[in-house]
Amino acid sequence: MTARALGAMLQARLYVSRRFLLYACAVAVFVALVAPLGVTAPLLCCSFLSIAIALDQTPGRHRHLDRCEQSAPLFGRELARAKALVPCIAALLATLLYACAQVARGSPDAPLTLLVVPPAVIATTLVALSATVRTGATRVLYVLLAAGTSAIAYVLAIVGRSAAAEFAFCVLIAFLALRQYGETLARYDPI
Amino acid sequence: MPLLRMKDASFVNASLRAGPVNVDLEPGCRAALRLGAPQEATAIALLAAGVAKATTGSVLIGDFDPRVQSVHCKRLAAFVPHEPLELDDGDFLRYVGYRAALWNVDAAAARAYSQELRERLNGMHEAFAFPLIGALIAQPQLVVLDRPQAAYAQRILAVLQGRALLSTHVQAESASAFA
Repeated sequence: MTARALGAMLQARLYVSRRFLLYACAVAVFVALVAPLGVTAPLLCCSFLSIAIALDQTPGRHRHLDRCEQSAPLFGRELARAKALVPCIAALLATLLYACAQVARGSPDAPLTLLVVPPAVIATTLVALSATVRTGATRVLYVLLAAGTSAIAYVLAIVGRSAAAEFAFCVLIAFLALRQYGETLARYDPI
Repeated sequence: MPLLRMKDASFVNASLRAGPVNVDLEPGCRAALRLGAPQEATAIALLAAGVAKATTGSVLIGDFDPRVQSVHCKRLAAFVPHEPLELDDGDFLRYVGYRAALWNVDAAAARAYSQELRERLNGMHEAFAFPLIGALIAQPQLVVLDRPQAAYAQRILAVLQGRALLSTHVQAESASAFA
């Protein structure tokens, strides 16, 4: 896949989801302004938003983009990587705005938020993406797995006080989730 | 040698049974298939464009099998969906740029060609013209239309002259307009 095609896909997907993205960022800023101090709130809030953002990529929500991507001469794994980048960028943007709102509020937690939350958000997003190409109970299961991912990240980072363990866990989960999503998308039938 | 060969090609899942369909389409020729339901028409069109894979039977686009060489198939065939695409002028140029990037076509050439096609499709509702223009940017040898509007048959056929065309239909009069 060329960088140009990747850029075009990212631009098009972010453009059609711009309203949803705006709402997600607004929620992140609002929660950052009213939530108690600490990293628990940003981790839970941004993980929840990342699941919602990932589910917005469900096939059928932007039908013409889906059809264009499916009929373009791209391999399934290339498509998976490009499609996975979109919600990751959106979720990271919401996280960044959350940290900015914390700074504006005078909270000392912004650096810790930027250290702990992004790995959890990316791993959660990638797990939730697999729910978008499934229906029924399996879809619910993947959403629960995504929530479980952020819960384990919370335990490692906040309860266990080990950002390194959380980072390693999230990298492992993100890698496995992206592979899984690529495999599923390669087999996915658009009918 | 046929550009599109569908032999007993069918698509079956829990909610849909489409086909079996047999088609031999030579380069530059056209065929209109009439099917029983809109979902069947879409499924067969997606099979013919190499976007979906046949459950039974075989589909060959050029020399390529969509099951194993889908990227090669998608370079030869273009799929035009039935659903209209509502865009304003600014969005249309963005759409052309997007399609050109996905198919690795020079952006300036794509813009010029899309403008030419827009003039040739003058009078056709833009919501139906834009997806067709988008599909033609990559100069496909085979164009697959899912339930095209019979009212625009003459304009569409004039624009697609020289390319192989397969269209799927539900209504007999629509199929005869593209036959």
